[in-house]
Amino acid sequence: MKKYIITSLVIVLAVSFWNCEKDDICAQETPTTPRLIIEFYDAANPTELKNVTNLGIAEPTFETGYAFNAVSSITVPLRTNQDTTTLNFVLNGSDEDATNDLTDVVTFNYSRIETYISRACGYKTTFILNDTDGLVIPTSNWISSYEIVQTNINNEDETHVKIYF
Amino acid sequence: MKHMSKYIFSLICLCFSLQGIAQVKDTIKQKERYGVRVGVDLHRITKSFYDKDYQGIEFVGDYRISQKFYLAGELGNEDKTVDDDRFNFTTKGTYFKVGFDYNSYENWLDMENMIYVGMRYGVSSFNHTLNTYSIYDPTNYYGLTTLESGEKFEGLNASWIEIVGGLKAEVFSNFYVGFSVRLNYLVSNKKPENFDNLFIPGYNRTYDGKFGAGFNYTVSYMIPLYKKTKK
Repeated sequence: MKKYIITSLVIVLAVSFWNCEKDDICAQETPTTPRLIIEFYDAANPTELKNVTNLGIAEPTFETGYAFNAVSSITVPLRTNQDTTTLNFVLNGSDEDATNDLTDVVTFNYSRIETYISRACGYKTTFILNDTDGLVIPTSNWISSYEIVQTNINNEDETHVKIYF
Repeated sequence: MKHMSKYIFSLICLCFSLQGIAQVKDTIKQKERYGVRVGVDLHRITKSFYDKDYQGIEFVGDYRISQKFYLAGELGNEDKTVDDDRFNFTTKGTYFKVGFDYNSYENWLDMENMIYVGMRYGVSSFNHTLNTYSIYDPTNYYGLTTLESGEKFEGLNASWIEIVGGLKAEVFSNFYVGFSVRLNYLVSNKKPENFDNLFIPGYNRTYDGKFGAGFNYTVSYMIPLYKKTKK
């Protein structure tokens, strides 16, 4: 009988330790808050993907941002505490030369849905871009037109927005 | 006061003389006491004093039904605020566990100690209040978003099976102290919409799987009902 007691004690300890490791860290492969996926197309030939050169993207008041070069598809994060996100899209912005910079201010307007994931990951936010003003680019310094192809931003598996330049 | 001390003195004398008689009897035929034992979990009570995020109490009881077996149960109430990395929530609820203990300890003479294993079936009814929660954004470009909520998730319940291992020792006449550890296995778990049962009163913290663990330190008092000859 004593053997059983010792065995059950060992099992209790083993299970508690084994469990601690499992659910305290949010695993990287867990689908969490998705980023917005933008694809760039050639304005002269709208079915052809076109690579951006030294595209710098940053929130207007932030000092840091993202840089993309020689790619046609990019991801940008949206704000999870507001229903609007404004980002400066600066073509040639991530190179040393400031004279060739072309800036268009891009604003996303959306509604947010918060979904429970797990103890380690907390909640994630998914977005639904507004029908009328989901994407607003008032200037066209380098972006000639744009299009929302998927209003529901639930994952990073598909393109949400197309930009022509 | 003088009468009182006299009375106590004679009571103690009586106890000792009875014990003497009992021991004489033991050599012929050993009698064992059967009764109801009721007590309380000291761990939950003391934690209620030092931990401002916890209020809880657990009553324990058992009833001896045979030489080795005891019908056993626990009744408790817990109010716990959990401050995790990504949440702050408060769980309140009541639980009840019933099952048996099997005493594997061979007592000498009229000792009544236990080293036991047992099983319980536990049920718990509870609710959660989500105080704050954080949004997981792997880019973290805009900083961590932590939101106030206050949302209540009510009408939740869970049930589970416990494997119990523990001991009880009679420290002085009819008073026992005990310790037990429990391995829990969730049988049912009614989860709230868009949240989870991260803590279940009586079961404790939940994990990804169905297993959990718990323990208690008890002090209890035995009310003897009758005696039976040891087989």
